[in-house]
Amino acid sequence: MSMVAELILNADSEARYLGPKEIHIFQDFLNTGEQRMRIARFLAENEQKIVQNGTNKFWERCPVTPSNSGVERKTNSCMRDQGWYVRLIAYSVMAGSEKPLEEIGTIGIKEMYNSLEIPIRNIAECMQCLKEETVSMMNEEDAAEVAPYFDFIIQSLS
Amino acid sequence: MQDLITSTINTFDVRAQYPDSDAMNKLEEYFRSGDLRAKASLAISANAKSIITKAVAKSLMYTDITAPGGNMYTCRRYAACIRDLEYFLRYATYAMLAGDPSILEERILNGLRETYNSLGVPIGGTIRAVQAMKEVTADLVGTDAGKEMGVYFDYICSGLS
Repeated sequence: MSMVAELILNADSEARYLGPKEIHIFQDFLNTGEQRMRIARFLAENEQKIVQNGTNKFWERCPVTPSNSGVERKTNSCMRDQGWYVRLIAYSVMAGSEKPLEEIGTIGIKEMYNSLEIPIRNIAECMQCLKEETVSMMNEEDAAEVAPYFDFIIQSLS
Repeated sequence: MQDLITSTINTFDVRAQYPDSDAMNKLEEYFRSGDLRAKASLAISANAKSIITKAVAKSLMYTDITAPGGNMYTCRRYAACIRDLEYFLRYATYAMLAGDPSILEERILNGLRETYNSLGVPIGGTIRAVQAMKEVTADLVGTDAGKEMGVYFDYICSGLS
């Protein structure tokens, strides 16, 4: 769900139109759309690089981990998942809400990785490395928009 | 409900893709239209009652529907008709803000035709009233916003027919 849907459903639950304050929020949200779309494009274009650099950093910090065990399938799955999280963050940036990330990628995340026998602490470290790589490639303003979503994933792993 | 942003996300997530350039352009256009949509919503909410009055005057008043034996005859049925038109206007406005018709499907159209048929509410008259609301709303909010609202009024009509 995006911020727009939240505003509408809130007004609908009281059978009324959006009030002036809600309309202001709507307007401000749409007016930041250009920045958010620019960030989403950036993430789409640089996903591979982010994942590659993030993985290298992750292995330096955390060498004993399934993705670094020489089993190609595990390495590929790990990098695929990282790419997916970058994509989900792009969705959330577009939506201006953590909801897409939450609904698709963090509800059940601990249970899933536990069942796959991948150490949760390593996943968290991996996400931290992805965040650092992403942020290092962006200007301050865009980085401030993106970083909280990585933190949201990390928090959902703790 | 979905809005243009969430419907785009849902479409591309099942393919594990980023939105393609068509979808990105559409979203950018939507973001640029924020002020237009916001103004239209404020104008419609401030004039909702008079939009309904004018639309009814244009489409239903002094026809067989309001005459004795018609489906809007008796105050109770007249009031029910007005109430439904108010719902249509409010949900069309939500859909316009969202840039997506899904809320119309969920909250208005699902089962409406069957309900109207069982209550004897004439579909043709309902569609005439919605089309009249479309014209009255366009007069109020101007051509561009009127065109966008028109998309959702037409959506209601095609869902009814």
